[in-house]
Amino acid sequence: MSSTAAANASAYWRIAGMSYLRYSGLCADMVRAALKEAPKAKAATREGAYFKYTPWADGVAGTPVIVDTKAALK
Amino acid sequence: MTSLGAFKTPSLGFAEPSAENKQAPFGTRSVSLQAVAIRMKSVSSTKKITSATKLIAATKLRGAELRSQAARNLPTPTHDLLGDAPGAPVSKTVVVPITTDRGLCGGINTIICKYAKGIVALEEQNPDGDVKVFVVGDKGRSQLRRVYPDKLLGFTQDNGKFGGLTFGVASLISEEILKAEADKVMIAYNRFFNAAKYVPTIATVLSSSAAEAMAEEGGMLDAYELEGPDRAEMLMDLAEFQLASQLYQAMLDNSTSEQASKMQAMENATNNAQEMLEKLTQLYNRTRQAAITTELSEIIGGASALEG
Repeated sequence: MSSTAAANASAYWRIAGMSYLRYSGLCADMVRAALKEAPKAKAATREGAYFKYTPWADGVAGTPVIVDTKAALK
Repeated sequence: MTSLGAFKTPSLGFAEPSAENKQAPFGTRSVSLQAVAIRMKSVSSTKKITSATKLIAATKLRGAELRSQAARNLPTPTHDLLGDAPGAPVSKTVVVPITTDRGLCGGINTIICKYAKGIVALEEQNPDGDVKVFVVGDKGRSQLRRVYPDKLLGFTQDNGKFGGLTFGVASLISEEILKAEADKVMIAYNRFFNAAKYVPTIATVLSSSAAEAMAEEGGMLDAYELEGPDRAEMLMDLAEFQLASQLYQAMLDNSTSEQASKMQAMENATNNAQEMLEKLTQLYNRTRQAAITTELSEIIGGASALEG
């Protein structure tokens, strides 16, 4: 029964256009947020992601995008 | 101004111009000494910088090593299950060379770019194949953008610059790679063994459909009984997770190798600077001594001529 529920849930986020990585990342954020204070502070160091991505098409670089999940949440 | 004046200050500063010709500096020996003195100062400050960089790299290496050790086994279960098949016959391949953002770290970026070029050349032999390149790190971008302007998908830099290199960084970069919908992703990185050994390595991650095709040919996958309705969907999740975990481990290993390589490169640079400094000091002292000796003998010669 639980596997069916899990399968249904996975279907929902796939339909919403999320990848497994984004979905599991969000789940990890929820788990971290639910921790008690001491482990929460420790886990907070593993939270967030920062990098600069530049798409490339037809031999030229596109506009660079700065991906910063922590800044996006604030 | 006599030659005695130059004798009093044989080594330092510009020699004063003679009264006859103000354009020409007085005494070529003093000028060459000054050039050597400037060079010595420059080499000595370079030595200070390389030596400090080495110490910083050595400090950073410890932390980076711990982080990469902690993530070492993350891709192992999916790797055992789905296998590593660099030669899988697929039509679309994405090559991901993992390079560093900064230089002064020896040849680790050049070797990774060479490996990436090798993979691209091999994959191009497949007439139906399509190969693309996704570069991680600024140094790889500068080396590959002119070679493959039509094959590049994009590049990332400053990975984890703020907040560290987390699994989230690897996940979001993986998402960008997944947009290419490749059948096979080949990650080239420096695998860290110890401070003196880091080996260029290629890790292959297959897409769910390619993994399914490999399983039919005889893989570990059929040995497992799966719960849930859809194996294809499970494989899709698993392939995504394998890519992110492999990329995470590769990025951490590469950053550890970067520090180790930087430490070694900077140690070599410091030794070279030291060697150069010793040679220059010897040259400086010898030239100064030669000037003193010549001028002394000139004075003695002059004095004895007067007496005679």
